[in-house]
Amino acid sequence: MTGENRNLDQELDRLLAAYREACEPPEPSADFMPRLWARIEAAPQGWAERLWKWANGLAAAAAAASVLLVALQMFSRPAPDFYSATYVETLLAQTDAELAPAELAGMPAPPAPGEHSER
Amino acid sequence: MLVDNDIVERARAGDAQAFNEIVQAYRRRIFGTVSRLIGRPEDVEDVAQEVFIRLYYSLDQLRSPEVFEPWLYRLTVNAALDYLRKRRKRKPEARVADLSEQQVMMADAAAGTKFEIEARERARVRELVDTLLAGVSEQDRILLTLKEVEGLSLKELEQIYQVNENALKVRLFRARQRVLKAWAARRAEEARKGTSDDRREPKS
Repeated sequence: MTGENRNLDQELDRLLAAYREACEPPEPSADFMPRLWARIEAAPQGWAERLWKWANGLAAAAAAASVLLVALQMFSRPAPDFYSATYVETLLAQTDAELAPAELAGMPAPPAPGEHSER
Repeated sequence: MLVDNDIVERARAGDAQAFNEIVQAYRRRIFGTVSRLIGRPEDVEDVAQEVFIRLYYSLDQLRSPEVFEPWLYRLTVNAALDYLRKRRKRKPEARVADLSEQQVMMADAAAGTKFEIEARERARVRELVDTLLAGVSEQDRILLTLKEVEGLSLKELEQIYQVNENALKVRLFRARQRVLKAWAARRAEEARKGTSDDRREPKS
């Protein structure tokens, strides 16, 4: 830092100190508190606060609905089994039904899995 | 802390009396800080009220009473920042610095009393600093004022801004350099103007 810059730096410090003195705060007016409360009571809620309250309300409603659904699930009677067969049994039954017309027409049955056809 | 933690807790729970106690305790400090941040005594009360209104509506978001003061400072900084942004958009007002040397001397002579001359000098200092700080962003102006004028430590600034110390140091250094540059340019301009005025001065 050159001598001139250092001088300027020090002068800036002095200027800022003078600024501090020059900015002596004014005394609060006598009606500061009543005016403050009037402004607080009159202040409309900002969109952020409204959004926050809406979001809170929605979250609470969602939580309540979840609890209700879980309770319903727990206390309701179990539904009778609609399907009695397993998945594999159902698949086999369907495969048989699809192959039946081809066998009737005298066509050879497809090779069983694992069986290699000769060429 | 100027108030006990339990008063902050009570205010947070919605106790109006506790909130009043907080306002009474911090009113002078906030007035002082706002005054130095915005440099306009006539608007200090309005901005200070804005700080307390924001405090009232955001107290329920305060994590714990221990961080109350940095929190209040942050609200003060934000309110001052909003004020400065709005003011920048407005038309500039007449300033003491815009008057010629002769007009200032005439005004001083008219003012007469020591008090009035001091008030004028204070206004001149405020305007000079205001002009120099106009060269940096509002955020940097506030950061610089908090550090250099308010005298807050880097640790305190770290709590207010929630930014690490090194980042703050870099920002402060750059802002100060910009202000110094603006001041050097202003002084050079004044010196140049003074020289040309001397040349124009009629010889007797």
